[in-house]
Amino acid sequence: MKSIKTEEQESETEILQEKLQTIKEQEGIIGYILRNSKSASIDLKDPTKIIEYAVLSSTALDTGDDMTETLQLGEVDTIVLETEETKLLSMKTNDHSLSIFMEKTVDHNKLSKSLK
Amino acid sequence: MNRDSYAIALKTALTEIQKAYPDLNHSFIFTQNENIISGEQETDENTMNTVLDSFENLKEKAETIGEIKDIHITGKKGNVTLSKINDMYLVLSTTKNMNNTHIYAITHVIIPTILKTMETIESPHLPDTSTQKKLVVDTLTGFFAGDAVQIDTEILDDWTQNNDPRARVKAAITGEPAIPEEINQVHIETFSGNTTVCKVKEVDDQNVKGKNMIKIPEKLAKSLEITKGDMVMVKPID
Repeated sequence: MKSIKTEEQESETEILQEKLQTIKEQEGIIGYILRNSKSASIDLKDPTKIIEYAVLSSTALDTGDDMTETLQLGEVDTIVLETEETKLLSMKTNDHSLSIFMEKTVDHNKLSKSLK
Repeated sequence: MNRDSYAIALKTALTEIQKAYPDLNHSFIFTQNENIISGEQETDENTMNTVLDSFENLKEKAETIGEIKDIHITGKKGNVTLSKINDMYLVLSTTKNMNNTHIYAITHVIIPTILKTMETIESPHLPDTSTQKKLVVDTLTGFFAGDAVQIDTEILDDWTQNNDPRARVKAAITGEPAIPEEINQVHIETFSGNTTVCKVKEVDDQNVKGKNMIKIPEKLAKSLEITKGDMVMVKPID
């Protein structure tokens, strides 16, 4: 018999995945990585880069934790990393770690709000 | 202006910026090759090094999507911004109240302007004549005269330590060497306005050493319309 917490987690994961599927359809979205302690779902336009993107997603979240701890800024809400053409939005929502890769022109603030 | 002078100038600038923006907690600058140049007074070295270590790791992993231009981390109590400016990264740690427009002003206007000003101080829009030498012509004759001019080793050594001030600014900021390893070519200008660029090597005649002389192959001297004893202006080409 599943505990109430587990059911809540599963429901939350489903809701997030639905939101991410909608986001994925938007123009300029390269893909996303959603993971919790038990599972991970990855949807990227270029599947050959899954490992690199997964490592980057994890490192970005760790870097966010390290920097906010060092600079005494409390828990991380969001991390946005920008390169010449690409942008990464990483965040934690309850038990989930989430990273969305997108083209630089995409409004990451809008995405961030829609996922909270 | 040497590296220490830059560090002091930037430290002062960052400290003054912090006074103007009370919501700015920490600010410091490091180079692309991960050397800390300067931080304002309140930020200790351990903090800067820890942030730098975290960044270094992320930078390496981020190569898969390109070179990092900006990082914005939003925390419960404040934010961190890392922005690439020229060959450097500026780190700003702020409270939640810091206005994004102010952050933009610091990263895109104030600090770039300060860096540009430093360059201007170093290179005040005057032609760089510090490397130019007035030398007395001697001609090289004979079958083995070749096509290269010969100049005193001391002058060549002097040139390798006396290059473009803009390169020195960049070197001071980035910590990278700016001194050319050797001079292979020189630009020669006669007082009648004839010019040429030609190969250069160390003078092999002990008698002309230390006499501010340039030995020019006879054929080249003729084409420049100069003879033994004339003066020419010579400057190195990296």
